[in-house]
Amino acid sequence: MGLLAYGADGYGDELLAGAWVTVQLAVFAYALAAVLGTLMAILTLKPRGVRWAVGRVYASVATGVPSLLVIFLLYYGGTEIVHALLVPFGVDERPSISPFWAAVAALAFVYTPYLADLLRGAIHNVPKGQLEAAEALSVPRRQIWLGVLLPQALRIAYPGFVNIWVVLLKDTALVSLAGLTDLIAAAKVASGSTREPFLFYGVVVVFFVLFAAATIRLANRHARRLDRGVRPSEA
Amino acid sequence: MGLAFQTDLGLDARLRHRAAIEIRGLRKRYGAQEVLRGVTLTVERGEKIVLCGPSGSGKSTLIRCINGLERHDGGTIAVNGVDLDADGRGVQDVRREVGMVFQHFNLFPHMTILENCTFAPRHALGLSPAKAAERAMHHLARVRIADQAGKYPAQLSGGQQQRVAIARALCMDPKIMLFDEPTSALDPEMVSEVLQVMEELAAQGMTMLCVTHEMGFARHVADRCVFLDHGEIVEQADAERFFAAPESERLRAFLNQMLR
Amino acid sequence: MSFDFALAWDSMPALLNGAWMTVLITASVMAVGAVLGFGMCLVRMSRNRVLAAVGAAYVAVFRGAPSIVLLYLVYAGLPQLSIVRDTPLWVLFASPLFCAILGLGLNHSAYVVEILRGALSAVPPGPVEAALALGLSPRLVFLKVRLPIAVRYGLKAYQNEVLIFLKSTVAVGAVTIADLTGAANEIFSMTYDPFTPLVTAGAMYWAMTNSLRLAFEALDRRLNRHLAAGVPDSRPATARRADPGSALFRRLRRSPAKPAE
Ligand SMILES: Nc1ncnc2c1ncn2[C@@H]1O[C@H](COP(=O)(O)OP(=O)(O)OP(=O)(O)O)[C@@H](O)[C@H]1O
Ligand SMILES: [Mg+2]
Repeated sequence: MGLLAYGADGYGDELLAGAWVTVQLAVFAYALAAVLGTLMAILTLKPRGVRWAVGRVYASVATGVPSLLVIFLLYYGGTEIVHALLVPFGVDERPSISPFWAAVAALAFVYTPYLADLLRGAIHNVPKGQLEAAEALSVPRRQIWLGVLLPQALRIAYPGFVNIWVVLLKDTALVSLAGLTDLIAAAKVASGSTREPFLFYGVVVVFFVLFAAATIRLANRHARRLDRGVRPSEA
Repeated sequence: MGLAFQTDLGLDARLRHRAAIEIRGLRKRYGAQEVLRGVTLTVERGEKIVLCGPSGSGKSTLIRCINGLERHDGGTIAVNGVDLDADGRGVQDVRREVGMVFQHFNLFPHMTILENCTFAPRHALGLSPAKAAERAMHHLARVRIADQAGKYPAQLSGGQQQRVAIARALCMDPKIMLFDEPTSALDPEMVSEVLQVMEELAAQGMTMLCVTHEMGFARHVADRCVFLDHGEIVEQADAERFFAAPESERLRAFLNQMLR
Repeated sequence: MSFDFALAWDSMPALLNGAWMTVLITASVMAVGAVLGFGMCLVRMSRNRVLAAVGAAYVAVFRGAPSIVLLYLVYAGLPQLSIVRDTPLWVLFASPLFCAILGLGLNHSAYVVEILRGALSAVPPGPVEAALALGLSPRLVFLKVRLPIAVRYGLKAYQNEVLIFLKSTVAVGAVTIADLTGAANEIFSMTYDPFTPLVTAGAMYWAMTNSLRLAFEALDRRLNRHLAAGVPDSRPATARRADPGSALFRRLRRSPAKPAE
């Protein structure tokens, strides 16, 4: 167990730093995907028209290719892509893109349509009567969205959102192939130089299983709070 | 009682004679709940018995014990002389002798009507596909549904499905048929087509034990009506007496409720 | 930022080579996953407490671990065991391809266990009882009645799982296998053009995932032809949904967030 010690003798600190990268990556990518997914859900609410068609094409691409490929694309080509996006605004710069942010953007790109699909479905499942009631009370549109529709839709979509979180968390494991020193990369280095692959990869497996379980517990507790007053009879 | 004529037989014949179903002191419990509390019932060959009783009285449980879908906890069951002991030996032999028709048809949804009927003869009796199909078509014609043989169960009405279920059971050439409320999941206009098939079967001499609350059927067909309540046989009599002059208070109350 | 058609054309042989590797791995993992998944599902559903616990642990570990970690474990870890090192098994584990198929197969099979288990327990008891009542042996009833019905229930979830793991085969790059992503990467490192090889590879992945999806949908139509139009569909809701866009979140129903029913 000395191998897991903190400091120069063990690999505890390296693993911890790697785990921290993994967690940050997952959290940032998920947060970005949630924001973009919400926007996409609202923009593609009606199943027809240009916006919807564009949304479908995007979803088909994002769900049809591996996320690692997108990570590579943004990592190698991110500078050029940002440059091309900035030129129309008269900015001629080539910012360098770090692997970390390339990975965040790539994972967000891939998972946005999944979250958007969930949320769109949930919005359609919010009872129509409430909308009409709000409109009858002449609540402004923006307030209907922010105060009535989205909170309830989020509650309905919540379990799906939690599931996507778990999948995204596991998908972050691929970023080590793009050169990020996340938990996997740290474990690989450690097991390579100590010849103890079972120990270090075992730690990684335990981390992923436990971290997913812990976040799910947290989410479930939060879900119960969201549900308060909605289904008082049920647990 | 069906046993009465047995005294006319000589000793030799009596030894050879075995009733179709002999149940003695049958007990069955689910956890703490005693569902069958010492049921004794003999069904003679060729006899038609209608079993009725309030919901939860144990009718389905009794029927299901007879072909081993439920294990009993006490007492004995013998079907055509084969003992069905509590640890489940003899089950396979018994099941080939006994056809069963369920309330909800329970056809195999992924097989055509013909496949539903040929499946067991092919795999349990080892019939060739052609032989099994020939037999299936014979019985499907008997229940007047041969023209639907290529369809799937979901494409048939409830009454049609139940007739297929009867044909499927008949394809195993059973000596005895058990029916568990075969018409109670059907729309009213489909009940009679199924009852008619059952009556024809009875007329052809099949031994039948039917859980049903169709009184017309009971009057027409039943040699004996048995009233089960709280896991006990409370009263049994021929159909005429059963409905016209019930002896026990519980049966009177049950019939009153039924007729209301 | 531009797409170089000439380069794309020149890269075709290398990319197709990589694509072939991806297809090969996917097909092998599906085979391994089906066999292992079926076997472990029986273990998982065993009435024997110990066996059932072993099955549950199998699912928890191999489904919860990212497949790249399983690849490393098989590739770097197992050869350290003397049972592998000192026996002819060594030859197998020296092959990255074998390790990749085994590692991904462990992950995939854990999902198959849960899909199959969910589907088997969703099969209504009626047809099974009817088959038993006809005097068929329990084994035959399982193979010919319960399993076929369960396969129809689980097909949609299985389709989603296969599509997802097809995309996760990119992890084989970790054990030095040149799959489609690896081939695209190789071309990038030679030409420094990130867009052409990666976008071309992406198009190939897209074609693969969508042809597989179409194949599954054809199979689904074929298996479920007994559900004629206009006839109420009695399958569980999970077996019925068919919107390809929401493929993932159906798989997700089965992931650890909702502990297996
Ligand atoms: N698998 C089971 N587990 C526990 N209890 C059961 C089970 N099956 C039946 N029971 C109980 O056994 C009792 C008898 O059930 P049974 O199905 O035999 O009644 P029934 O006479 O057929 O009623 P019904 O007319 O409603 O079909 C009921 O109280 C029921 O709740
Ligand atoms: Mg009943």
